[in-house]
Amino acid sequence: MKDRYVLVVIALIVIITSSWAAAQQPTPGTVGGCPTEPLAFHLCALDKAKTFNPPRTPSGKPNLQGHYRARLAQSYSFEGVSGSEPQFGAKIMPWSLSPPMIVDPPDRKIPYQPWAASIGRVGENYYKYLDPRTGCAQAGVPRVVQQDPNQILQPPTDDYILWLFEDHHMQRVINMNQRPPLGDSIKLYNGYSRGHWDGNTLVIDVTNLNGYDWLDDAGNFHTDAAHIVERLTLFDPDTIHYQVTLEDPKAYTRPWTIVWALVRQKQPGFELMEEPCREGEHDAKRIIRELGVKYYFGESWRGH
Amino acid sequence: MRHGFAFALATAILLVVPIEAAARPPAQQASGLPRTPDAKPNLQGIWQVLNTANELPYRPEALSKKRQNFENRATADPDSKGYLLGVPRIMYMPFPFQIFQTPDYVGMTFEYGGAYRTIYTNGTPHLKGPLNFWMGDSRGHWEGDTLVVDVVHFTDETWFDRAGNFHSEGLHLVERFTLADPDHINYEVTIEDPAVFTRPWKMSMPLYRRKERNVQLLEYDPGLLSDQDQAERERKKTN
Repeated sequence: MKDRYVLVVIALIVIITSSWAAAQQPTPGTVGGCPTEPLAFHLCALDKAKTFNPPRTPSGKPNLQGHYRARLAQSYSFEGVSGSEPQFGAKIMPWSLSPPMIVDPPDRKIPYQPWAASIGRVGENYYKYLDPRTGCAQAGVPRVVQQDPNQILQPPTDDYILWLFEDHHMQRVINMNQRPPLGDSIKLYNGYSRGHWDGNTLVIDVTNLNGYDWLDDAGNFHTDAAHIVERLTLFDPDTIHYQVTLEDPKAYTRPWTIVWALVRQKQPGFELMEEPCREGEHDAKRIIRELGVKYYFGESWRGH
Repeated sequence: MRHGFAFALATAILLVVPIEAAARPPAQQASGLPRTPDAKPNLQGIWQVLNTANELPYRPEALSKKRQNFENRATADPDSKGYLLGVPRIMYMPFPFQIFQTPDYVGMTFEYGGAYRTIYTNGTPHLKGPLNFWMGDSRGHWEGDTLVVDVVHFTDETWFDRAGNFHSEGLHLVERFTLADPDHINYEVTIEDPAVFTRPWKMSMPLYRRKERNVQLLEYDPGLLSDQDQAERERKKTN
C-alpha cells in the first residue's frame, strides 16, 4: 500500500517535471512567419511590417484590439538564460537555456553603469530583496506585458487606449490626446503613459516611474529616472512586434532595447479572468524571514 | 485626509427604497447628450460620487454578522486590508474612476487599488459558474439611453461600506447608468441576495464628472502602501 503511494508520487513528479521542462523548451518553428531567436525575429518582423497593411478602426487608425499573449519572452532574465544561472536545471522552478531578448546593444547585455551591474543580473536585488511581484505588487512596465494574457481596447473616440492585463489585475491607460507630461515630482508604480501613432506603430512614452518594480526574475532594474518607450506594430494579422527601449541616466550607460512577440488569442469566447493578488502573498512574511530578504521599494539603488 | 474631499462636500443622497416603490421612467432618447460614433450616449470621462449611507433589509440571522463586522471594521474591512472592494462599493468610493467605451466593451478604471471592470456589451452571457471574482462578472446591454449591467459571480469577502454591511457569494446586481446631462450620470443599483436580505433593495446616486483642468487618475494602492508601511517598520526596527 505504501509502495503504491510512493509510485503515484513518483509518477506525479515525472509528469509535473516533464511538462515543466516542455514548457521551458525554446520555441520551435516560427512566430508570425518569423524565426524565434529574438534578434532574428526583430529584423524579420520589422521587414514584414513595411509591407503589411493592418486592419483599421472606423477612424482609420491601425486596429490593435484583441487578446494577446507574449511569445519569445521568458520571465527569468532579459539577458537570457545561460548554463551558469543558479536556476538553470534547478530542482525547483528550473529554467532551460534561452537566448537574450535584448536586440541592442550588440553584446545583448544591459548596459549597466559599474555600480548597478552588481545589483541587477542575479546580484544584490536577487539575493537580498523579495521580488516585488512575488509580494503581490503589480509587475510594472514592461514586465507585465510578458505575464499572462492581456487585452487592448481602442475606444472610437481615439483619445485613450486601454490596455488590460490578467496578471495581478493591472490596467494601463494610454493617453492619446496630446496631454502634457506630468510634473517630475509625481512618481507612479506603472508610470504615466502617453501614446501616438508613428505610421502603423503605436508608440507609448512612459515617464514618472518610481522604480519600485523589477524588469525580470533576475532582479534587473531601473531607477526613478527611467524613461521607457514601447512600440507596438502589427506585422501580420495576428502578431504584434513589441519593442521596448529603456533609458535611465542613473543606472545605464546608454539606452537599450528588448523585443518579443504578442500573439493574438483566437480561441472562441476568450476572455481575461481575474487574478488580482490584492489580498497579498500570504507566505511573504515566511519567505522574508526564511530567506533573510527585505521588501524592495527601490532600496538597492536609492542613494546612488 | 484622503476622504477629505468627499467629507467636505458630502450630502446624504444615497437612497434606500423598496424596489416596488421605485417607478422607472420610460426609456427615452434624450436629445443633446454627447454620443459615441455608434450613437450610444458617451459616458466616457472621469467621474466620482459624493455620498454617505443608511439602513438595509437584513434577514434577522444576518444582522449579527453585520454587527460583528461593524465592531471589527478597523481591521476586518476589505478597505483597511487593501483588497479589491468589489461592486458596487468601488463605484461610490471617494476616488475618481474613468469610463471607456467601445461597441463591444465598456471598460472602467479606478484610482482606488488600480482596479478595473470590463462590462461586456457584446451580447455574451455570464460565464458558467461557480466563479468567485472580487469585481464580479459584468454583462451589459443598452435599454434606450441607459446602460444596464447584470453582475454575478462574486466572493463573500467584499463589503458595501466601512460600516460592515455585507453580502454572500450569491449577490446579484443590476446596475443602470443613465447620462442625465453631459456632466451627470444617474447611477442606480438593485441589490439582490436572498441569503442575506429579505427583499431586493436599491441605491441611487448621481455620478459627477470631474471637471478640473488636466484631471486624470493617478495611483492609490492601499495594499501596496500597507506593504510599504510594513517595510518601513522593519527598517526602523533593525536600525
